[in-house]
Order: sequence, then structure tokens, then C-alpha cells
Amino acid sequence: MFGYVLPSREKLTEEERAGFQSMYCGLCHTLREKYGFAASLILNYDLTYLAVLLSDGEEEQTACRRCVAHPCKGRCAAKRTAALEKAAACSVILAYWQIMDGIHDSRGWKRLKYRAAERVLRGAYRKAAEDRPTFDEATRLQLTKLDELEKNGCTTLDEPADAFAELLAGVAAELDDPVRQRVYREMLYHMGRWIYLVDAADDLEKDYKSGSFNPLIPRYGLTEGKLTDEAKQDFAMTLDRSVRSMAAAFELWDFGCWAALLRSTFYEGLYQVGHAVLAGEFRRAKRSKNKEGNI
Amino acid sequence: MNDPYKVLNVSENASDDEVKKAYRDLARKYHPDNYHDNPLADLAQEKMKEINSAYEEIQKRRSGQSVSGYGQSSYQYGYGGYQSYGSTYGGSSVMQQVRMAISRGDIARAEGLLNAIDDHNAEWNFLKGTICYRRGWMDQAKRYYETACQMDPGNAEYARALSMMSDGGYRPEGYHTFGTADCSDTYCIRLCAMTACCSSMSSGVYCLPCFC
Repeated sequence: MFGYVLPSREKLTEEERAGFQSMYCGLCHTLREKYGFAASLILNYDLTYLAVLLSDGEEEQTACRRCVAHPCKGRCAAKRTAALEKAAACSVILAYWQIMDGIHDSRGWKRLKYRAAERVLRGAYRKAAEDRPTFDEATRLQLTKLDELEKNGCTTLDEPADAFAELLAGVAAELDDPVRQRVYREMLYHMGRWIYLVDAADDLEKDYKSGSFNPLIPRYGLTEGKLTDEAKQDFAMTLDRSVRSMAAAFELWDFGCWAALLRSTFYEGLYQVGHAVLAGEFRRAKRSKNKEGNI
Repeated sequence: MNDPYKVLNVSENASDDEVKKAYRDLARKYHPDNYHDNPLADLAQEKMKEINSAYEEIQKRRSGQSVSGYGQSSYQYGYGGYQSYGSTYGGSSVMQQVRMAISRGDIARAEGLLNAIDDHNAEWNFLKGTICYRRGWMDQAKRYYETACQMDPGNAEYARALSMMSDGGYRPEGYHTFGTADCSDTYCIRLCAMTACCSSMSSGVYCLPCFC
């Protein structure tokens, strides 16, 4: 479900890109050190954003480290901080519950794959749930809600998106400052909503074929596995509203060294990803397994 | 009070035009239209106040120093633009209560009151839309606003709410993308190629070592 939140590459300097990359590597190392190698496999850029948002916006200390993916030269990785640890725990919990959801929803070969993933991640999850029991509880609650909505065949976009949005917004409770909490809640709510909706659009064809629940099908009364032009336009507007809410929240807090990254994400990157998903280009790019590596 | 130059993010030696430009950009950013029915509107309003008084303070200081005297061309974006739901309405008292609950931010109460009403007229749909909007339920908000506008096409308040849904809002300098639908294709494909590696990770598979 993850991997959609991205900056607009053109708007970042070399340094800013390197900073984000080092956060990505830092989160990977933190996941591995705290929760084992299996946990580092769940890593993606959406989770890196979580780490970025939870950090205090000061220049991160980095160190060059080697890893499985970059065994020769290594890469600059942010040093482990409380923010990275928080992000790591939340990441593991989110990933685990999504796998459980997958087991619940799928059958046959696919279900076996989810079961295998669950086994691999179980140890890491137990530890993470111990570290962040409130977040674990909240995540479980929202995913149960989502599951019920899907089972009852809900016909709106907002309700299932709300469950997922609330789940990400729950991360804000990990912060102390009340104003920061409010700003983050709003931003993370819309980020969660946007991720859920973009993911639904991205999976539409697949879900239609397999008969899985997809909120876009009842909402737009689809009789084939893709959106009509009119529906696309309407859907793009719903996405845009959430992106604008993220941007509006972004302007109300000082994100320090991450301001440029977040600005390029909320004012351009998300629009680009949404556009690529609606044009059917996002998945194709995923499948082509281009190995350019850097953002 | 904070250093007014810091608030506007300009140096003390900045020219009048630079100060004015910085002020205008910030005022555009925190303009009430960008925070219309936004749960964070009060924070934006505070920002706006801070910017306004910083600009005024700089003008005051400079006009005092200046020999020729700067024209008091104080350029103000008022923050009176926030809708106050309670005051604009004079109809049935329940609707009035709903509007007051919304402006207090008590969304649960507003919804409870609305749900008890059987007559789903234009205003009911409009207020229902506003509640959805406040929650972040943008898709349903739009549908309720549309219904309200269909039932009462002449109502300016409903029309404004609906047109705000597609409003582009503030964009920082250098950003020209208006939205998801407005995004040149070549741009996006390039983005996707860049991200293919991280995307393959998200599906749980490590990308092959790049040996880089």
C-alpha cells in the first residue's frame, strides 16, 4: 500500500536530495538494528516521510555506512535518533497490520505469501508493539473499522479513506507540543487519505478483475476496470483537496531543514504521482524495475 | 514583539519593494481563502496578524527615518474574511444552532442537530457539506454542496462553497502545477522512472545491489 509520497525531483538541490536519502538509509539501519533484518525489508519512502516529520528539523548527523544494498561504497545514513526510533516502531506496526489485512482479504497462493510475510515479521512486530502500545492499539482499531466497511460494501470514498487517514493521524499523538500536534494531525490525516485513495486508483484494474473490494467501483458505478474521463476529473479534484490541506498545514509549522523537501512534495510531487497513477503510468514504472536507485 | 524583519524573512537592508513583496507573498500564503473552513484557520489567522503588525512596524520605523517620507501605502489583507456562521443567518433556529456549533468547531453537535431534521432542503445540504469539509471528507462535501446549489441556484453562499472546492489556492514562487489533472505527462513519467527502485522495495523486495 505504501510508496506513493514523493518529492518533485526538479525542485530539490543535490544537498536536499542527499539529506532525504540519508534519512532513508538511517531508517533502514534503525529498523534492522532494533527489529532485525526482516524489518528493514518493509522500508519505503512513505515511511521515510514519517521519520522526516517526527524529527526536529535540525540538520541530521550522518555517517557513511555499508549495507546489503550498497556493499562497496556504502551510503550516508542519518544517525539513530529518538525520531528515527519512533518512526521505525510505527513503520513495523503499520506494515504488520497491513499484512494481517492481506491474509484476511486474499485466498490461495497470495494468502500463502502474506502468511509467509507475517511469520517473518512477527518477532519485529511484537517488539514494536511493546515499544508503542497506544499506536498499535489505534492501528488495530482503524484497520478493523476499514475491514468492516469493506465487508458491508460501503459506497463512499470518504469513509474507508477516513479509517486509513485516522491511522496515520494517530502518529501525531506521539508529539508533545499541542500546536505541532494539531498541525501534524491535519497533515497526516490528509496524507493517509491521499495514500488510501491513490492506492485504490492504482489497484483498480487488478481489484476489478479479481472481484476484490475497491471503493472507486461503487462510488462511480464502474462497469469496467477503469475510470471514465468524467470520474477521473472528479476523483482528481478530491485528491487535490487533500493535497491542499497538507500544504495549508505545512505552512503553519517550521520544518527546519526539511522545508524544501516537504514544499516540493505538497506543491508538486503529490500532483505528479496522482497524475501518473490516473494515467496508468505509475504501476508500469514499478514493474519495469528500473534500477536508477536515487530519488 | 518578534523582530519584524525576521517575521517577514527579509534583511534590515532590504528595499521597500523587497519588504512589500515579502509581505505580499506571506499574506497570500495565509490568506483566509486558503484556510476556509480549515480546522487550523485560527493558527493561520494568528500568523496573519503577526505579519500585518510586522509590516506596519517596518513602515513606521522607515517613515520615521526617511527624509522624503514614505507614502503610507499600507497594503492590508484583512482577516475579516472568515465566515462567521452565526451572524449571517436569520432563518430557523435549529439551522442557526448548527451554524454556531460549526463555527465553534463542535462538529459532532452540529451533525447531531442536522441528522434530526427531516427536511433536507438546500441549506441542510450546504451545512452537511460544510461538516464533511471540516472533517476532511472532501468527496461527500462536494456532493452536498452540488445538491445545495441545484436546489437553490441563486444562493451566493452555496455557490462560493462549491467554487472553493476547485480553487487552486496558494502556490510558492517557482511552482506552476495547479493540480493532479494539470500535470504534463513527460514530467510524470520521468518522476516514475526515478522512483522505480524505491517502489520495488515497497512491495517487499529489495532492489538488487547497485554497487554504487
